[in-house]
Amino acid sequence: MLELHDITAGYGSGAPVVRNATLALAPGESVGLLGPSGCGKSTLARVAALLHRPDSGTVTLDGEPVRGWRYRASRSRRTAFGVVFQQPRLSADPRLRLTDLIAEPLRATGRRHEIAPRLTELAASVGLTPDLLNRRPHEVSDGQLQRACLARALVLRPRWLICDEMTAMLDASTTAALVAAVEDYRTATGAGLLAVGHDQVLLDRWCDRTVRWASLTAAGAGK
Amino acid sequence: MRISLALVGVTALAVLLVPPLVRLDQQAVDLGAKLLSPSWSHPFGTDDLGRDLLLRCVYGLRVSLLVGVAAALAATVIGTAVGATAGALGGWADRALMRVVDTVSSVPHLLLGIFIVAVFRPGVWPVVVSVALTHWLSTARIVRAEVLSLRSRPYIDAAVSGGASRWRVAVRHLLPGVLPQAALAAVLMVPHAMWHESALSFLGLGLPTHMASLGNLIQSARGSLLAGQWWPTLFPGLFIIVPTLAIAGLAGAWRERINPRRRSELML
Amino acid sequence: MTDPTPVLSVRGLSVRFLMPGGRRVAAVTDAYFDVAAGECLALIGESGCGKSVLASALLGLLPANAQGAGEARLGDLDLLAADERTMARTVRGRLIGLIPQSPAAHLTPVRTVRSQLEEAVKALTDIRGRAALRSAAEAAADRAAFPVGHLDRHPHELSGGLAQRAATALALVGDAPLLLADEPTTGLDRDLVDHTVDELRRHVDTGRCALLMITHDLAAAERIADRVAVMYAGQIVELTDATAFFGTSGPRHPYSRGLLQALPDRAFAPIPGMPPELGDLPEGCAFAPRCERATAACTALPQSADGIVCHHPHVPEDLRA
Repeated sequence: MLELHDITAGYGSGAPVVRNATLALAPGESVGLLGPSGCGKSTLARVAALLHRPDSGTVTLDGEPVRGWRYRASRSRRTAFGVVFQQPRLSADPRLRLTDLIAEPLRATGRRHEIAPRLTELAASVGLTPDLLNRRPHEVSDGQLQRACLARALVLRPRWLICDEMTAMLDASTTAALVAAVEDYRTATGAGLLAVGHDQVLLDRWCDRTVRWASLTAAGAGK
Repeated sequence: MRISLALVGVTALAVLLVPPLVRLDQQAVDLGAKLLSPSWSHPFGTDDLGRDLLLRCVYGLRVSLLVGVAAALAATVIGTAVGATAGALGGWADRALMRVVDTVSSVPHLLLGIFIVAVFRPGVWPVVVSVALTHWLSTARIVRAEVLSLRSRPYIDAAVSGGASRWRVAVRHLLPGVLPQAALAAVLMVPHAMWHESALSFLGLGLPTHMASLGNLIQSARGSLLAGQWWPTLFPGLFIIVPTLAIAGLAGAWRERINPRRRSELML
Repeated sequence: MTDPTPVLSVRGLSVRFLMPGGRRVAAVTDAYFDVAAGECLALIGESGCGKSVLASALLGLLPANAQGAGEARLGDLDLLAADERTMARTVRGRLIGLIPQSPAAHLTPVRTVRSQLEEAVKALTDIRGRAALRSAAEAAADRAAFPVGHLDRHPHELSGGLAQRAATALALVGDAPLLLADEPTTGLDRDLVDHTVDELRRHVDTGRCALLMITHDLAAAERIADRVAVMYAGQIVELTDATAFFGTSGPRHPYSRGLLQALPDRAFAPIPGMPPELGDLPEGCAFAPRCERATAACTALPQSADGIVCHHPHVPEDLRA
């Protein structure tokens, strides 16, 4: 269970970009969050993934309130979330080969021995061929790089996936392939999903239910 | 660009090869040949003690370059450490460190440099320390700005979400990203450090006067300049100006290449 | 289209990149198409299929290591043969108006929309004098439905939709016979996409210009295009009427069909595999390794017939069966 209650969040001293937003996801549930660009939905996604501390409000993970974000969140909590962002170019360290990009979370958590089998498995499930794995980000296309970013998000077997406009830059076929890879993973593991986007047709097709950004904040404000 | 490259090449060859190959004593005093104007046997003339100026200039350049490179490296290490720490930690650590940077930069750095050399006995290392301690500020600012911009990239978010510690993010993702900028800053600083060394020596506060640094050469030539002997000033002067401009030119060309990132990337 | 004199006529356009080590990358291979005034041709395909290179070739903006071949006639001018001076002075802005991918990056951040429009008017037309420039800039803004009240704003003060309109207004200033829109809807919300393409359509419908729109957004293409050119691995594999393409009979090339079936409101099924590297194309049909209809015949290069480059195109009988 992932519950975001009455979240207000922003950056620095300016006006908050998220005001009183409330959203709950049942275990294994997939929820599409639909909103126009610039509305603050990405910020809410970062709050949910424990990457951005909200100014106020509570996040509850499996009944336990979250007290720390980013480095202050325990490693097991942080890695319970896999995140994929909109722009693969900005989401990939330009110096890392795709293999290292995907394996980085395993190295960071001291699970090197899992690298080889995990890579083989994940490359197949996101549709990356071995020759691509040896390349650096600038040597592959956006679509190929986003496949690697999805593999990285899945490598620690998260219980929750947060996909923030994961397919906004991609063509129809790559979009369908990445969504299929996410759904295969969820079928196998029962992980929950928060898919943030602005394409209602896509979210309706992909997720169990789609909520509109406006309704989310109105519900919070009404309480 | 080509000219700069050629000049830097000639400079490097001269300072590396001349001393071991040309077995002449740069300190050889010959009072009978003092203050000779340029000729075939002494292309740059001789100084007031009859020492060959060409040889003195090459040795001077060697000392000045050594001081410049050492000081630039030290300043870059300090600046990168401070800038990266401030940028990566943020919050009060950032504010405190940047306040230190602002405070140090509010003192004219030649003045600060003079103060630092004055504390030590004259020698190479006090000059290096003095130049390094007054020149790390801009590097710290550049590196901090770069770290701040990298820190907000989604790939850092992805690393945090992947369980990376603060230290790992700093060392594996932030530092490698700022190293090209820091290296560029270091190269750009070499000419600056050389000028600074010369200024200190010219003021008589830098290297011991017997060492043929370019600043010392110009300093000791002051008297003869008033007497109409131009060569002891002109040639060491050119030896500062030309190589430092060449290094700065190369660094500028390099900056052009790394800054508009991959602008010539194939548009596929 | 039956228009006898197309605005742009592309004949056998190819672009090769010479890579270090003597490798050659075939970014565009043997493209043929026409666009007439009052018509919109959508060039669709995945990112990296060569469609942006094709646009750069038309604008004379290929990098130094690229070689163009073939012909692209715009009026009497061959865009591939023209020198940079001609391209800069008479083509870009005057004969081809460019509507860019990210308007925010296309506009100068430190100047108001008005001053940028006035500068464009001054550079591209004979209009002179402060009052005349001002009214011409306002007229240009009006044509792109950019509210005149917002003219004195800087680009960062504009919403995504208004920035796109400002960029469109700039592209329209020169009254160019050809508009070239390069992924004009990337990253925009669906409502804004619809709005943007509807406005582009309005300009085409004035009959004064032809529109070549490069996009990977099939929904946007469906909304705006008269005809569709599908590009795969540097080659236009299908060139056909938009109504047939998006309608019940559907596209005929297996790749186009796969692309449409990947849409979330259709089968939402990806085409297996990934596009080939342009520097390492397979022998014969480039799509064959991913194609369910591929046979032994596909190891030979298919010839273009009836706008389709395929050995086994779908024919209407298939659909009845």
